[in-house]
Amino acid sequence: MKKKQIAIELKHITKRYVLHHEKPTFSEQLVRRGKREEFIALNDISLTIYKGESVGIIGPNGAGKTTLLKIIAGITTPTLGLVSVHGRVVSLIDLEAGFNPELTGEENIYLNGLVIGMRRKEIERVFKKIVAFADIGTFIDAPLYTYSQGMKLRLGFSVAVHADPDILILDEGMAVGDEEFRKKSGKRIKQFFKEGKTILIATHWLEYLRKNCTKLLNLQEGSIKNFLQIASHRTVQ
Amino acid sequence: MFSEKHHFWLEFVWAMTVKEIKARYKHAILGFLWIILNPLLQMLVIGFVFQFFLPVQVDNYFLFLFSGLLPWIFFSFTLSKCTPAIVYERSLIKKARFPREAIILSIVFSNVFHLLVSLALLLVVLLFVGEVSLLQLALLPVAILWITLLASGLSLLATALNARFRDVNFFVQAVVPLWFYATPIVYTLDLIPHNLHALFYLNPMTAVIEAFRFALLGLPITQLPFWFVSIVVSLVLCVFGWLVFQRESQYFDDWV
Repeated sequence: MKKKQIAIELKHITKRYVLHHEKPTFSEQLVRRGKREEFIALNDISLTIYKGESVGIIGPNGAGKTTLLKIIAGITTPTLGLVSVHGRVVSLIDLEAGFNPELTGEENIYLNGLVIGMRRKEIERVFKKIVAFADIGTFIDAPLYTYSQGMKLRLGFSVAVHADPDILILDEGMAVGDEEFRKKSGKRIKQFFKEGKTILIATHWLEYLRKNCTKLLNLQEGSIKNFLQIASHRTVQ
Repeated sequence: MFSEKHHFWLEFVWAMTVKEIKARYKHAILGFLWIILNPLLQMLVIGFVFQFFLPVQVDNYFLFLFSGLLPWIFFSFTLSKCTPAIVYERSLIKKARFPREAIILSIVFSNVFHLLVSLALLLVVLLFVGEVSLLQLALLPVAILWITLLASGLSLLATALNARFRDVNFFVQAVVPLWFYATPIVYTLDLIPHNLHALFYLNPMTAVIEAFRFALLGLPITQLPFWFVSIVVSLVLCVFGWLVFQRESQYFDDWV
């Protein structure tokens, strides 16, 4: 067997958030210095994920699933600990984010692509595929505020999947428009599983994880309860 | 030396800047005309009013005013727009990892573009009504670079702090109009008692405006040695702003 390559390595990750009950104003900050209320979202997490593994993350609300994904995606920085991520991470969580309503579909594809880390040349290369997959037709040169909700989601999804991610981050709450596109996007994601991409997915849908993932990470109150290989793993048809 | 990372950074900031320029006037009928209409309107109103009660000794008060208003409008627009920018762009921040400073620098650079366009138009006017000295004009790029660095540094500082303390935006909104009067834009520094000059040069915009007026109109610099103060203040603000932004930008997601 080939030596396993590390995709994501977390060492003693702790993430603390300052709780804001009301908006934190400057004067309040000065008065209550030193006794800020804190919330520990992740507590001393160490974790290694190898290339090609697909990890399902479960745990009740507030267990730290989103925080963990955000740290891996580089959106936020842990309070303590070391993160090393090898390869391009693309998150499919907030598909509509990063679009500018005034710009056209085409301009937004370039903007969105750059935001998720693509080079201009790369975007040019897959531009036609992105448009075709999103199925927005003649709207491509119309400003984004004329798009329907579904069209925006489709465009966001299409840019993300064409970014050739090494590591893919998914969330169960992901909505991708109408029934037809749901099928299409579901198929594309299954293809990523088949291609052996490193995938992280946060969900409560255990059945889906059992069928698709190689490992299961159980988070409880910011700590790892267990991190197991899924025995009955088989590839999806 | 010039790695892949730097390439991406440049490409990214460039694309964001182009977006910023394109998006701003997209659905305005007068479009890019607004670049020049805005300072023109201000010049006409301020010029009309102030010429009656300010004993400013200049040949053409309107040109004097306009050459000071252009850099000021650049500076105040940039600072006012950048300060809340990180909070406004929260959806971008939450989407992916990318160089956060691009949000701010794209606003700065798009305003530099506007400044350049309006300066070019002013130069055309100057060629018709008076003489332009090429020697003095050589200082113009320096003045533009100076004001760009100053505006970037302050904007980075203000927006980074505003992510944590939303008061900063209110503070900037309150200070910018006052700053206008504290800077010799509608008046010249000669009208101020000499012993107060040092105080005025603590405001780096004083020297910046003088630099623009020297380059464009050949107006004398009131206290050249005090420029040193303005330069030091500008550099400190610039470095400090950059450092604070770099430290805070890692945690923007936690605050917006």
